[in-house]
Amino acid sequence: MKILVIDDSGVMRRIHKNTLTEHKIKENDIIEAVDGQEALEIATKEDIGLFLIDWNMPKVDGLKLVKALRAIDKYAETPLIMITSEAAKYNVMEAVQAGVTNYIVKPIRGETLWNKLSKYIDT
Amino acid sequence: MQAKYINPFVKATVALFQDFVGVDVTAGKPYLRKDPNDLEEVSGIIGLAGETVGAVVLSFSRESAIQVVSRMERHTYQALTNDVIDGVGELVNIIAGNAKKDLNEFRIDISLPGIVTGSSYQIHWPEGIPVIAIPFDSEYGHFSVNVSLRDM
Repeated sequence: MKILVIDDSGVMRRIHKNTLTEHKIKENDIIEAVDGQEALEIATKEDIGLFLIDWNMPKVDGLKLVKALRAIDKYAETPLIMITSEAAKYNVMEAVQAGVTNYIVKPIRGETLWNKLSKYIDT
Repeated sequence: MQAKYINPFVKATVALFQDFVGVDVTAGKPYLRKDPNDLEEVSGIIGLAGETVGAVVLSFSRESAIQVVSRMERHTYQALTNDVIDGVGELVNIIAGNAKKDLNEFRIDISLPGIVTGSSYQIHWPEGIPVIAIPFDSEYGHFSVNVSLRDM
């Protein structure tokens, strides 16, 4: 199962990636994208089983990415997890309406993050 | 600017450093920053727009920025690299995004973070709105969160 980690911060991508590899996810199964545009390019070529999506990113932001992915047949049911600092209720509502599977507010890392993600991961 | 707009930024900063970075911080008494450009060498900036307007600036000394981002990533940086700058941007992004939860009187959209470094720079703060500095102390030295937000 391929996991696509999308965040414009390299530091955050590495923190998420470390959480995954510490739980036996192979590095080869984790793909990184720096924004929504790159994520869409990767998602078209690959079959991604889980998306971890930041909200605030240049070019195509996380909300637009969620809408774009949900419009692609093969991702209609795929877990799309928003991991964002955007903690306001109206942001959560917008993301849910756009089709996110789960909404996780940063800061989060390690076991707390893994406990929220593990149910979406086939190991 | 009303005091009630400051508390969400104090709360978000303390939680971020304690729960995520892994550093205990102590917030000092907020004060009016007479010279809004009297900041440290490394500042992360987020613009606030929507139903109000403003900005948040997280300002560190060079050394504190390197140490805090090293601790955050569990990786030792020796200099002010692009990764350290990226980390400062993420920190201010989390502070602004989390503070929104308690600023629920109005809708706020936050910008992507920008970073400025050096010993002499000017931030173009929103005109006519005071800048409130919240000083913090930590094992990695002092830093500040500076907030300017128009009353609604």
